Amino acid sequence: MTSQQKNVTVTLVSFSALLFIFITRVARLVRTDNFNESSVIRLWVFVVVFAIVVTVIGIILTYIASAVYQAATTGEDEIEFDDIVDERDQLIDLKGTKTTYTISSIGSFLAIMAFALGQSALVMITLLLFFGLIGQIAGDANRLRLYQLG
Amino acid sequence: MSDYKINNNIRKLRFFRDEMTQAGLAKAVGVTRQTIISLEKGKYSPSLELAFKIAQVFEVELNEVFSYDLAEEANN
Repeated sequence: MTSQQKNVTVTLVSFSALLFIFITRVARLVRTDNFNESSVIRLWVFVVVFAIVVTVIGIILTYIASAVYQAATTGEDEIEFDDIVDERDQLIDLKGTKTTYTISSIGSFLAIMAFALGQSALVMITLLLFFGLIGQIAGDANRLRLYQLG
Repeated sequence: MSDYKINNNIRKLRFFRDEMTQAGLAKAVGVTRQTIISLEKGKYSPSLELAFKIAQVFEVELNEVFSYDLAEEANN
């Protein structure tokens, strides 16, 4: 597994966890009748901060774990990272980004439609966030699928 | 990436280069070993730049490394 594949896996896992947390929090807000501006904005901030922090920490920890594993298996003092990003990685990344944009765009359209059909702005914002997360997960899943295909 | 009409002799050329490793070739042309594996399996068609770099490593002409499969095109 290349470093790119590891990074994509970390992002996929962290965004899947984030989606789970997001859905449970929204469900709780609706159930407890707390689906208001302040709680939705707080959720927005939480999602953005979580996405950045967890992804960055996850990638750093993956590098450390890889270095420890490599040192343990090879017995070398100096670890050589294979962190080259070549044209195939870029092509796969581009295809993944295309998937992300496609799903996010469809989600944005549905969110705007919901607003146009009488739903509140909070519902629209929540849907935008939801489809943003779904788009990211689908993009990463597509990237991993392309890596698996060879 | 599943469409491929370009065949290559990379495996054979590596063999005649004292069994050069995939990692060695990858390092020489600046890509990952996975890209070389994909190339050898015919699952990935390289850019023109990468194709020239590979030919340069083996010190052969480009058409000795890569060939365009006309028969496959005729079938499509």
